[in-house]
Amino acid sequence: MTRHTLFAAASFLLMAGSSLAAPSTVLDLVEPIADYKIYVSEKLDKLVEDTEAFTAAVKAGDVEKAKSLFAPTRLSYEAIEPIAELFSDLDASIDSRADDYEKQEQDPAFPGFHRIEYGLWEKGSTKDLDPVADQLLADVKALRERITDLALPPEKVVGGAAVLMEEVAATKISGEEDRYSHTDLWDFKGNFDGADKIFQLVRPLVEKQDPAFVQKVAGNFATIETTLAKYKEGDGYKSYDKLTDDDRNVLSAAVNTLAEDLSTLRGKLGLD
Amino acid sequence: MTKMARNNETSLGRRRLILGLGAGLGGSVIARVSPAAEGQGPAHPPHVADAPTGHEARKDAWPFFGMVQQGVVTPRPANGMVAAFSVLAKTPEDLEAMFRLLTERILFLTQGGAVPELDPRLPPPDSGILGPLIAPDNLTITVSLGSSLFDDREWLKPHKPRRLQRMTKFRNDALSADICHGDMLLQFCANTPDTNIHALRDILKTMSAHLVLRWKQEGNVPVVPPKPNGSTESARNFLGFRDGSANPDSNDANLMAETVWVGAERDEPEWAFNGTYQAVRIIRNFVERWDRTPLREQERIIGRNKASGAPLDGGTEADVPAYEKDPDGKITPLDAHIRLANPRTAKSRKNLMLRRPFNYSNGVTKSGQLDQGLLFISFQADLEEGFIAVQRRLDGEPLEEYLKPVGGGYFYVLPGAPAPETYLGETLVRAACRTTACPT
Ligand code: HEM
Ligand SMILES: [Cu+2]
Repeated sequence: MTRHTLFAAASFLLMAGSSLAAPSTVLDLVEPIADYKIYVSEKLDKLVEDTEAFTAAVKAGDVEKAKSLFAPTRLSYEAIEPIAELFSDLDASIDSRADDYEKQEQDPAFPGFHRIEYGLWEKGSTKDLDPVADQLLADVKALRERITDLALPPEKVVGGAAVLMEEVAATKISGEEDRYSHTDLWDFKGNFDGADKIFQLVRPLVEKQDPAFVQKVAGNFATIETTLAKYKEGDGYKSYDKLTDDDRNVLSAAVNTLAEDLSTLRGKLGLD
Repeated sequence: MTKMARNNETSLGRRRLILGLGAGLGGSVIARVSPAAEGQGPAHPPHVADAPTGHEARKDAWPFFGMVQQGVVTPRPANGMVAAFSVLAKTPEDLEAMFRLLTERILFLTQGGAVPELDPRLPPPDSGILGPLIAPDNLTITVSLGSSLFDDREWLKPHKPRRLQRMTKFRNDALSADICHGDMLLQFCANTPDTNIHALRDILKTMSAHLVLRWKQEGNVPVVPPKPNGSTESARNFLGFRDGSANPDSNDANLMAETVWVGAERDEPEWAFNGTYQAVRIIRNFVERWDRTPLREQERIIGRNKASGAPLDGGTEADVPAYEKDPDGKITPLDAHIRLANPRTAKSRKNLMLRRPFNYSNGVTKSGQLDQGLLFISFQADLEEGFIAVQRRLDGEPLEEYLKPVGGGYFYVLPGAPAPETYLGETLVRAACRTTACPT
């Protein structure tokens, strides 16, 4: 469809509701998508580098060091999770949880970050973790390779902002992601940064059309930032147990509202 | 005092906006609206997954505006749900914004109408589970507030209803924190469960900045066709007994003013007049065990005839037991549920409450038993004289062997929004603004 017919269709359908997308052409998105690709590849490089150090500590049997590297290593992964999830085989191998396996933690198929997390925190040992560590490093490298070769689909990139918030709302706000280490607040930080990055890249395209929307979304990101900032400790974050019920409610409301609002980004940008 | 005149058509008709056929609640014509029925063409026998044919009552709506909220003395439809929330509001202005938006959503959902159409590249504004035209379906959404909403906010503390408190454990309770309490409770009631679910999803979607969902429980009551003379009988609970027989008559306005609605004569804050206390209890029933209990024992435990619902001294469901002629409990045991709950003495009159429960069925326990029971809901003008006093009397009753209360909470039902410019909770917001600086 040309720009003209798209616009006609949109205004016809717009019977109620406020500022609706004057659809931008795909061209408008070329630059933000290219910038996002750079962001993703930087995160992937960091992820590979950090995972090398993390898995080396595991294989050296250095429990304390491995524990200290766990959360910072995941940060880069969490920031680009919607893109990583385009490869569901790797995402499952890297980041699935015990619940995904019939015998939970005891299931020999339980892999990845959370299998190592379980060993380090629950067992206080790196016993049996060598092959898990090797596989994790191999998976992370494979992920970098596959994404490097990938033309990022614009709707996945733009939609990714809402997906990140949706994930926090659906399965993370409860603290079930990093249930052995309680480093969930680090993951939140990664997810929020990843979503905010996407929002910032396309922000100029929606700003004119819907300034109130942009202000509301930015306000909710700011609420999250200030709430999380209360839990800063050293280079990272305090344990999830320290999160008060009040702050959990504030985060939960902001995340759900961001998920609602960011889910309109695709449409606002005229993506189908 | 009994419910004989309860479903009186004229009083129903007065308060009720009939959008469709003028049929009464249970008396609607159950007919498939097919082209054939309308004489427009050949009959198409339904396919296996066609939508089940409904009820004309889907078109019926309860008016939203009024001195008191709907969902308290409103005749109970077949399906109910309660959902408890944390409220985000930090200031009176936040609270006002939340109540205004909530009022707007409840008004739309209970009166029905067309869902707005948006550009299809956007997520649709509505879940769509009721289609593009929302039928009211007798939906009511009743808003009530928990103690924590007041306790956690300095500016609301002085305005807490005097008897509102956090529910504490009774003898037989095994309360689970995941299904207890909340800053606010919404009670949804409608002819069909889909209408309740649709309304909940609408509120979650449109109010995510104000509310965080904590827990919910759905329930229903069996639909019973009215008798030829139009009268109705009480629905049965999961113990197989009629539940509601001895309820005070909800059509008796004076009696409701005495037992349910908080009025000026009570020492409650003025903003709270025309509200009421709501006790919600999720009470599991051990139904396998109950079904293995001899019938006569079941009847002695409850204090009523199982088939008819009549008191043990005879008559019909609507008759009142004569305890004064049975002081030793030879007919109705002294520890029968109904005798403990309401000994029918001059003193116990102040303990009356209006019960409006639903049955719930949730799944299977680890032991392979049914997880089902009663979503008990009662309304009373005084929480302590009503629910709490009655439950204390029931503590230790023989029925306990078959019950396990696991969740719920105490809430205060807001007064109604009397007219179109008003909103639910307005009197509370105004009261809070009189004692706190509120920008106007
Ligand atoms: C699962 C739990 C319960 C079951 C199965 C149950 C069942 C019944 C039944 C079958 C009746 C007789 C019919 C009627 O008048 O409605 C009844 C009456 C009553 N129940 Fe319950 N009930 C339960 C819990 C409670 C609770 C928690 C309370 C209040 C604390 C309560 C208060 C009453 C009262 C006030 C009456 C009316 C007594 C009268 O006025 O004669 N019930 N209940
Ligand atoms: Cu993850």
